[in-house]
Amino acid sequence: MKGLSRRDFLKLALAAGGAGSAALLARNLAFLEEIQTIENPLASYPNRDWEKAYRDLFKFDSKFAFLCAPNDTHNCLLLAVVKNGVVTRIEPSYGYGKATDIYGNSASHRWEPRACQKGLSLTRRIYGDRRIKGPMVRKGFLDWARAGYPRDPDTGLPPAQYFRRGQDEWLRLSWDEAYRLIAQTIVNIAATYSGPEGQERLRRQGYDELMVQATGGAGTQVLKFRGGMPFLGATRVFGMYRFANMLALLDAYIRKVSPEQALGARGWDNYSWHTDLPPGHPMVTGQQTVDFDLFTAENARLITLWGMNWISTKMPDGHWLTEARLHGARVIVIACEYQSTASKADEVVIIRPGTDTALALGLARVIIDENRFDPDFIKAFTDLPLLVRMDTLQLLRASDIIPGYRNAPLTNFVKVLAPGESPDPGIAQGSQYVPQSLREEWGDFVVWDLASGSPRVVTRDQVGTYFQEAGIDPALRGTFSVRTTDGRTVQVRPVFDLVVEYLQNFDPATVSEITWAPVEAIYSLARQIAANRGTTLIVHGMGPNHFFNADLKDRALFLVAALTGNIGKFSGSPVSYAGNYRGALFNGLVSYILEDPFNVQTDPGGPVRTRSYYRAESAHYFNYGDRPLRVGNKLFTGKTHIPTPTKFMWFCNSNSILGNIKWTYDVLVNTLPRVEAVVVNDWWWTLSCEYADVVLAVDSWAEFKHPDMAGSVTNPFVQVFPRTPLPRVFDTVGDIDTLAGVAKALAELTGDRRFQDYWKFVYDNQVDVYLQRILDNSNALRGFRFADLEEKAKQGIPALLMTRTYPKVMGWEQTNESRPWYTKTGRLEFYREEPEFIEYGENLPVYREPVDATFYEPNVTVGRSHPALRPTPPEAYGLRRDDLSTETRQVRNVLKPWPEVKASPHPRRREGYTHLFITPKYRHGAHTTPTDVDLVAVYFGPFGDPYRRDKRKPFVNEGYVDINPLDAKELGIEDGDYVWVDADPDDRPFRGARPDDPNFKIARLMCRARYYSGIPRGVLRMWFNMYQASHGTVEGQATRPDGLAKNPRTGYQALFRFGGHQSATRAWLRPTLLTDSLVRKDYFGQTIGKGFAADIHCAVGAPKESFVRLVKAEDGGPGGQGLWRPAALGFRPTYENQGMKTYLEGGFITVK
Amino acid sequence: MPRVFNWQINREMEYPYPASPPERQFAAVFDINKCIACQTCTLACKQAWTSGRGQEHMFWNNVETKPYGSYPLAWDVRLLEMLGPQTWEGDTYTGKTIFEAAPPGQVALGFLPEDVDWAHPGLGEDEVYGVVEGGAYFGIPHQVWFFYLQRICNHCTYPACLAACPRKAIYKRKEDGIVLIDQTRCRGYRECERACPYKKIFYNGVTRISEKCIACFPRVEQGLQPFCTVNCIGRIRINGWIHTPDKADPENPVDFLVHIRKVALPLYPQFGLQVNIYYIPPIHVPTKFLRQMFGPRVDKAIETYRKAPEDPELKGVLMLMGATERWVDKFRVQGDYVYGYDERGNELVRVPLKEPIYLRPVYDRQFTVYRHNIT
Repeated sequence: MKGLSRRDFLKLALAAGGAGSAALLARNLAFLEEIQTIENPLASYPNRDWEKAYRDLFKFDSKFAFLCAPNDTHNCLLLAVVKNGVVTRIEPSYGYGKATDIYGNSASHRWEPRACQKGLSLTRRIYGDRRIKGPMVRKGFLDWARAGYPRDPDTGLPPAQYFRRGQDEWLRLSWDEAYRLIAQTIVNIAATYSGPEGQERLRRQGYDELMVQATGGAGTQVLKFRGGMPFLGATRVFGMYRFANMLALLDAYIRKVSPEQALGARGWDNYSWHTDLPPGHPMVTGQQTVDFDLFTAENARLITLWGMNWISTKMPDGHWLTEARLHGARVIVIACEYQSTASKADEVVIIRPGTDTALALGLARVIIDENRFDPDFIKAFTDLPLLVRMDTLQLLRASDIIPGYRNAPLTNFVKVLAPGESPDPGIAQGSQYVPQSLREEWGDFVVWDLASGSPRVVTRDQVGTYFQEAGIDPALRGTFSVRTTDGRTVQVRPVFDLVVEYLQNFDPATVSEITWAPVEAIYSLARQIAANRGTTLIVHGMGPNHFFNADLKDRALFLVAALTGNIGKFSGSPVSYAGNYRGALFNGLVSYILEDPFNVQTDPGGPVRTRSYYRAESAHYFNYGDRPLRVGNKLFTGKTHIPTPTKFMWFCNSNSILGNIKWTYDVLVNTLPRVEAVVVNDWWWTLSCEYADVVLAVDSWAEFKHPDMAGSVTNPFVQVFPRTPLPRVFDTVGDIDTLAGVAKALAELTGDRRFQDYWKFVYDNQVDVYLQRILDNSNALRGFRFADLEEKAKQGIPALLMTRTYPKVMGWEQTNESRPWYTKTGRLEFYREEPEFIEYGENLPVYREPVDATFYEPNVTVGRSHPALRPTPPEAYGLRRDDLSTETRQVRNVLKPWPEVKASPHPRRREGYTHLFITPKYRHGAHTTPTDVDLVAVYFGPFGDPYRRDKRKPFVNEGYVDINPLDAKELGIEDGDYVWVDADPDDRPFRGARPDDPNFKIARLMCRARYYSGIPRGVLRMWFNMYQASHGTVEGQATRPDGLAKNPRTGYQALFRFGGHQSATRAWLRPTLLTDSLVRKDYFGQTIGKGFAADIHCAVGAPKESFVRLVKAEDGGPGGQGLWRPAALGFRPTYENQGMKTYLEGGFITVK
Repeated sequence: MPRVFNWQINREMEYPYPASPPERQFAAVFDINKCIACQTCTLACKQAWTSGRGQEHMFWNNVETKPYGSYPLAWDVRLLEMLGPQTWEGDTYTGKTIFEAAPPGQVALGFLPEDVDWAHPGLGEDEVYGVVEGGAYFGIPHQVWFFYLQRICNHCTYPACLAACPRKAIYKRKEDGIVLIDQTRCRGYRECERACPYKKIFYNGVTRISEKCIACFPRVEQGLQPFCTVNCIGRIRINGWIHTPDKADPENPVDFLVHIRKVALPLYPQFGLQVNIYYIPPIHVPTKFLRQMFGPRVDKAIETYRKAPEDPELKGVLMLMGATERWVDKFRVQGDYVYGYDERGNELVRVPLKEPIYLRPVYDRQFTVYRHNIT
């Protein structure tokens, strides 16, 4: 190297690589270095050229924006930083402070930054080894298809040999092959189960008769589609429902019926599927959920959080809570453990899981007893003054007491539709719409006017100021007599009076026994909420919502909110937080999902004709074993809820419907075998993929080549998924391409071009045409041009949803502008006169013990006898009163006073089952995304180890259960030990499980135990978010040299050695959610109907509760011996060495 | 041995080199009350700087739960135990610093963690002091408690790592006080790792040399705050050029929090390094524990912080955290807004102390559409 100094040579060497290689190279050549003299490194340093290495590492070529949108409700526009064509890191966009609407309103930079650790970890997911690299098919399924779909001649069932899901090989297909395979399968299955012969096959296979009849003879009705949390993708995820609608063409083809008679497929629910729907909200308000944008927190004075772990589950909006405190807001956490949000609270109270309802009723009792409630609010806005007939338990009607009464015309924000009349299209809806027949059913209501000492009619119009104008002073207390038109004298009482009588069961001392909350806490909470009239947020989270009796919790919390005027204000409102469900904000979706496939609009600017061909149903019936709720001699599932048999499933954007399904192993062992085809779209191999038949490899968010759009219930933004410049890393397509591709194959198979026309704009690469239609037809979006929104999104800037208010608060128009709610009375309803509620003893907001996670008699209704509570007892259903089995419990209506309940234990307590088991969600996952990415996993709890020194570890981290140390010691379990967690052996981990069954080995939950002093005795907590064990991962642990719980064939990586958190859960069906009579708003728009409505009134399950025992499995220490290291060294709770003890007491410093 | 003045312990102390303050000193304030332990800061740093071979266990930025969390294992408990109980008299630390307590032949009292001590970064996550009972009911201070401690290198004024390196391969930049390990001259002796009381030096077993937080100096050089700050969605961090107390500038956000309002405190000042990362202590934690960690001023800091609702300037600078990626040299609260400025006085960002509320008209005649909240 002539003419090159030593220093220049070294510089060249440094320039050759990044920090790591530079250091190595430089070290090897170190002998060439001059020896430097450094006097004082604080003052100077001779040669800093090496710093270039870090500057080079920082440099990048370009950035592009993409939308990260797993099911966390936030949706963050992030910037991918690209170097040499590779995304090397991800950053927040800092674009939120630039978001505007069309009126010049703007968000501020208080919103920055928005991102999270999971979003930043996506570089490892976009390029990771579990990325699905192309369309995959399970070999057995392909064999079945290639054999011509052989079936049993009598039952139509395929031979079991083709269906060894989870234990099969996977083959790669081309896209055309995959589309054709799926299309052929769809046609085969639909044809097999079409017509009377098809229904007969279903009968012979043992499906419930009503389910068979529900198909209407259309084989398309056994095909189930789900777009997971479709509010996360207006075209690609909601597209699954559009596809289901399209299949009416297939039914017409198979059965040769007309468009008027054709039926599409079935679509599964989302919000209610996730148990995120607070099912009592539609009961009280008539609409889906009362929620508000989280940034309204700083408008409140008092923020009460009921089982809502804000800072762990709403992370980008965590600062609104902490900043609200800087404005002087007071935060109270009511939870069953000292969880992360408790550390941000001014006050904490630890209650028994599942008893929030009892606590709320206790607060209501104090507020009423001490006369701290707002009588004007409840008289004007709630049903509390309405009179109830004590003979029929129905609300008294004007027509009951006024001869010849004609129902009043209704005009307050409502239009009554004459028969055959349709509501206006969404954007033109300036009122609610009620079919006349329904309005007539409702009648008009009656209160007792104290001023005149007589009954007075109150119509649905008369809410808020309209009621105040009427000059009536309605009684809240008392028993009155009225003469009915048929000449009888009937006793009537206001709803309030009946509620107060039930509340006699909830004096503070009793409530304290039920809930564990001290009496002083009950008084203090009640008085604080009452003192903050209109300035209290009553926030209930997924914790209490994922218990069986969640609807009662809603009714009770609404009662507290209504009594204290905390409804419909920026500063005061109840709210439920779980899920991201409000597709209704994009109500223009009707033009997309329901476009009439027989009359497709292929002109981008032309009007779209809509017709609803697909039927929605609750996926909980599939979860439950593909059957309705029949217990004893009664069918509890309402007619409008009846599902069809499930023979085909196709879902996208979700792991929750299979890989993280409640009762996972029961579904895999007992229910899934009867499904003939499972098609999954994903970009990452999940547990759903493990048990699928066809897996379609789709783009990650960073690779989108079609735009899409998402919204949120927790923030005010409408966010576009911009098309990105990143070339696809693997052979993937967009989710919407898969729908268009299979449709094209269906067109070829059937000869019907309309299948293809339906997706024209996808083939033409103009998905923005569908998006613009959605914008144009949505109340909150009309006025936006999609091209503008995408342009902004590419810069990391979202737009503001144009709801009536910013922040949006559901109920603002009701409280401030006296619009009626969506109930029959127009008021917030606490009384349920529907026959089902009367039958189940829930016409009043009552308290029931949890259905499994309780020390006491499960699902018993707590209270003394009450003249308005007439629950139908178990004997009437042909059940024994002492039958407390899991199935029977769901429908058991027994009223018992608390002193008897507390002496009546959970049936499994006699057999060594001891603990309540809850599975909340945590900061390290949005559902299961991306908890198996190593950088995220390693921080998830205490057992992470990037080098996996304990080879039993399934991955760089693993599932664990939190247990109070005192309980653990009693059970002989040390911190760090492996334990088995067993729920009711009757049905968990799956029905029919026996210890010698190989499936039992896969399904029985084993995990680490962590000593957790933040949880009370008797309660266990495990997080909901980790990837569960599969046949392949159990095999992997045993056979792979590295011992990872990783399927040797698919690469699927579990975080459990055996089982998972869903080994302890099951499907539960609650009768009050399955009625045909509940009045509620439809999903999109202002029309009111009744009965089943997906994501509004239907089954929700109960994933958070079970009753379990713990059994020690293995020592936690290295090699399975002794204590795990941190405990052995004395740094863990109850194992503290002397230094640790001094440290905990702050003893190393004295201040004089 | 030279003597230097350490204002955090309010006295002179021994240090192997004479004092030589940098022209400007990189500093930051972290508001523990707002931290949500989301680890976004942790991942931001890791993806940028430590995602290579040999770096798997490294988290230059980490967030641990106190009191049972620690990364590496028991880094503070072990050193406190080695140092033994010590005292403050008023504002003056009358105990021994780690330099003063150094065993013969060593520059500072310290220990070298075992490699496995770095294994469990999430140890102690959300674990409480005390034991919760059903029916527990308390206000502030909490009977059972934990809080989050976010840690990066403190870019100390008197770094132990710099003092301990036998090759003088660690230096402090004159222009901004950032402490760096020369990656070409380090030989991996790990004396720095032994000496650093905060254990923010990380040994790379593949390259066989040590690494540490670089204060994102390539960003700082461009007027940007570090990755950990700009990724903090809890909005708890703000960077600034800190001055000594006598030169404190009330318009400088870090000076304001540290020297004017005195709500931001150094971490374990008793170790004697005059650290440059400051913490607003958690208001819900009993101060007996906090004094061990933040010194005797913690009670007053909490009292001042709790008055933030009536203190627009304090509230304002706290609301400014996270608002911009740019380095904010000066801030001002005026009316309902807080403003951030660069050193030349150009406005970088303004944020409202309360987010505005908008009402839209119920009917838009131009677009013929009704606007509703319930759609």
